[in-house]
Amino acid sequence: MRSLLDFLVRHGSAFLFILLEGLSLFMLFGMNDRQNSAFMTSAGNLSGGILSVSSGISDYFGLKAENTELATENAMLRDYVEVLLADTVSEFRNQASAYGINVLARVIDNSIRKDDNYITIDRGTVDGLEKGMGVYNARGVIGVVMLAGNRNSIVLPILNSKSSISCKIKGTDHFGFLEWHGGSPYDAKLKDIPYQSEVVKGDTVVTSGFSQSFPESSLVGIVNRVERRQNDHTLDIDVRLATDMTDLGWVYVHTQTDDPEIEELNRLVEGN
Amino acid sequence: MKTLAFFRHLLAMLFFAALQVMVCNRISLFGYATPFIYVWMILRFDSFMSKGSVLLWSFLLGLSVDIFTATPGLNAAAATLAGMLQPSFLEISVRIDKHDVVRPSCASMGNSHFALYAFLLLFIHSLALFILKDIPIDNWGTVILSAVGSSLLSFAIIFCLDLSFSRNKDRRYTSGL
Repeated sequence: MRSLLDFLVRHGSAFLFILLEGLSLFMLFGMNDRQNSAFMTSAGNLSGGILSVSSGISDYFGLKAENTELATENAMLRDYVEVLLADTVSEFRNQASAYGINVLARVIDNSIRKDDNYITIDRGTVDGLEKGMGVYNARGVIGVVMLAGNRNSIVLPILNSKSSISCKIKGTDHFGFLEWHGGSPYDAKLKDIPYQSEVVKGDTVVTSGFSQSFPESSLVGIVNRVERRQNDHTLDIDVRLATDMTDLGWVYVHTQTDDPEIEELNRLVEGN
Repeated sequence: MKTLAFFRHLLAMLFFAALQVMVCNRISLFGYATPFIYVWMILRFDSFMSKGSVLLWSFLLGLSVDIFTATPGLNAAAATLAGMLQPSFLEISVRIDKHDVVRPSCASMGNSHFALYAFLLLFIHSLALFILKDIPIDNWGTVILSAVGSSLLSFAIIFCLDLSFSRNKDRRYTSGL
């Protein structure tokens, strides 16, 4: 300690010089535009790095707002695409609802660990949602609206034993139902595909479009395993889901309701 | 005694800073040479002053010039460098006995010694100042030319003033110690 003090006293002026010179240079580079910019560009890779990190951090915190904007825009664009497609094939019989065909919603609650999982979204009847409407995101199908409240709705996702979505193998007309019986949130089973249909691993599973909850050929997943059981008339197919159900933020609700005529006919059939 | 010295330094500092800002900074001979008259104050610090107070006064002097020229740190950095070197330069320039108090001037050091001492310190100050001022440096020629021109002009002015003002009292005298 004593020797340290001695050292400081003996070289006091040197330390004072370093201090004052440092202070001067700090002012020089910190407060003068020319030197400041030189410091930033040539000698300032370090501060440049720090700046880019800090801007990265602020960007990260701005992502939420950015996401909202992008997702809103996406919903709008999807509407356009559907209208344009429908125009081309002149199959667009229903006018888009006042809310748009695809309503953007935010997932406010989600579970994946239970046998019967549910998703809550922040849109309801006020936004034009009804029971039976399909819910999906950019990756693929998620589920169907089970209960529509005023401002929130419960979605019955694929990861629920009650869920059954009409699907088919892309490129064929063999259809079946997508079901889930617990276990991995990334996999589901495709039932009722006829035994003789030629399904191989890697085939794409899409919605059949029968229920009109989803537009026809919305992506559901990829065939992961096909098992041909003896004494059974259907195939046992494992599907790797396209949507990561563990990571849901923004979703779209397909609000195009069934063709009124088909609905009416269905009601008649069921009524009998 | 110390309080008196303090106020004398403070007054000198304000005087030199004002002179520099209001007169000398407006001079730009041939576009290169600007006299730095305030360095005279640093040159004049006597051999009995501690290195610390020389440094501190030099820094404050440079800073007070900076405040009025809106170049924070520029003159302060150059003046602090000059203040760091001044005691050593003085020691090298003249033999100083332990109890001698030398207030640097032509009268106390002799014309040639004082000239060398003053010019070297002025040149280093100007060089540092123009390097810092022109960062990032595109043209070293301009920097060297400005430093040489300015230190020559400063030296000429300070040397003339010193010759006319320094009196016999600046001759070496022995401190009371």
